[in-house]
Amino acid sequence: MADPRVDAYADALFAVAAAEGNLTAVEDELFQFAQALGSNDDLRATLADGVVPAARRQQVVEDLLDGKASATTAALVSMVVAAGRAADLPAIVAAVVERGAASRNRAVATVRSAIDLSADQRSRLEAAIHTSTGREVEVKVVIDPSVLGGVVTEIGDDIIDGSVRRRLNQLRESFR
Amino acid sequence: MSQRRNRLAAAPLIAVLGLVAFAGPAGASGESVGGCMAEHLAEAVEENHGDLQETLHDEEVQKDLEKCFEAPNPILPETNEIIWGALSFGLLFFFMAKKGFPAVKGAMDARAERIASDLDAAEQAKIDARAVEADYQARLGDAKGEASRLIDEARGAADQLKADLSARAEADIADMRERAAADIESARQQAIADLRAEVAGIALGAAERVVQSSLDAEVQGRLIDAYIDEVAGSNG
Repeated sequence: MADPRVDAYADALFAVAAAEGNLTAVEDELFQFAQALGSNDDLRATLADGVVPAARRQQVVEDLLDGKASATTAALVSMVVAAGRAADLPAIVAAVVERGAASRNRAVATVRSAIDLSADQRSRLEAAIHTSTGREVEVKVVIDPSVLGGVVTEIGDDIIDGSVRRRLNQLRESFR
Repeated sequence: MSQRRNRLAAAPLIAVLGLVAFAGPAGASGESVGGCMAEHLAEAVEENHGDLQETLHDEEVQKDLEKCFEAPNPILPETNEIIWGALSFGLLFFFMAKKGFPAVKGAMDARAERIASDLDAAEQAKIDARAVEADYQARLGDAKGEASRLIDEARGAADQLKADLSARAEADIADMRERAAADIESARQQAIADLRAEVAGIALGAAERVVQSSLDAEVQGRLIDAYIDEVAGSNG
């Protein structure tokens, strides 16, 4: 069951990004920041620590995103962190991305890979998923070294696992 | 009891009183010669109207006077003594028959009755004692039988308990042996599984390191392309 506060923040961020006219770029930047936050425990703890002053936490966000993201993205992340919702940021960003994709009549396909996918690979993967499932999707790539090689795609509750990690796990299971 | 004693004491007392009260006068048989002569003379003078000389010459009178010189019979008592004695005897016999004899007889009867009663009581006590002894013997026999039965039961129970304990111990030993065998087998299987998992882990770790070292950008790109083709080739 969705947290109403997460939905409220997602609605707000989506509305601001849409109003600023750079929704797709903001979605990607927010997605990348949320992935970085999820993979970095120290950063997540710092931004979610209520003892640290809000100005200090905002400063950390601005230092991280300065020159790497748009001003809109930096402002939105700073706002969420200052409100003390840094722990909810991955869920909020996921909701924003879903809203953005839905506004374009598409679903979100989270792709985890050891390396980033090229634009051609992304478009081909979107087309392949459409061919396979009949659904229009937008690929969001998450760099995950634990995958080792290959790709793991998650579309809602569906998972298409073509990773080397899965094959090694299958090999491990066959030894038992 | 005391009444009987009083009767026994009264009998001789009555006899003594009878002898004292009804005994004849002592002088009845032992009267003096002069007295006898004086009495006979007085009677004869009175018969002869006071003529002493005639009286003394009267032959009858002389015979009577001579009788006064005759000694009394040493065997036969005087008549009056016989009468008094008979009366006294009769009276004494009467009293003895009426009072003394019943009292003595009653005492004797009571004594005989008491002795008989004592004998009966003794006999009864003897019978009772024999009955008690028989009962005791019977109870002793019962007790011995009961004791023997209890000993047999205890021995049987001990044997049964021994058999049960032995059977249980054997069952426990068998169970323990079975469990030990199962544990050994389980430990063996676990060791094999652990060893296999460890070997697999080592092999997979080595394989993972080899894969990681061989996964350069080109290989990664080919893997992604192959994945895309695979997804495109799959249908649903």
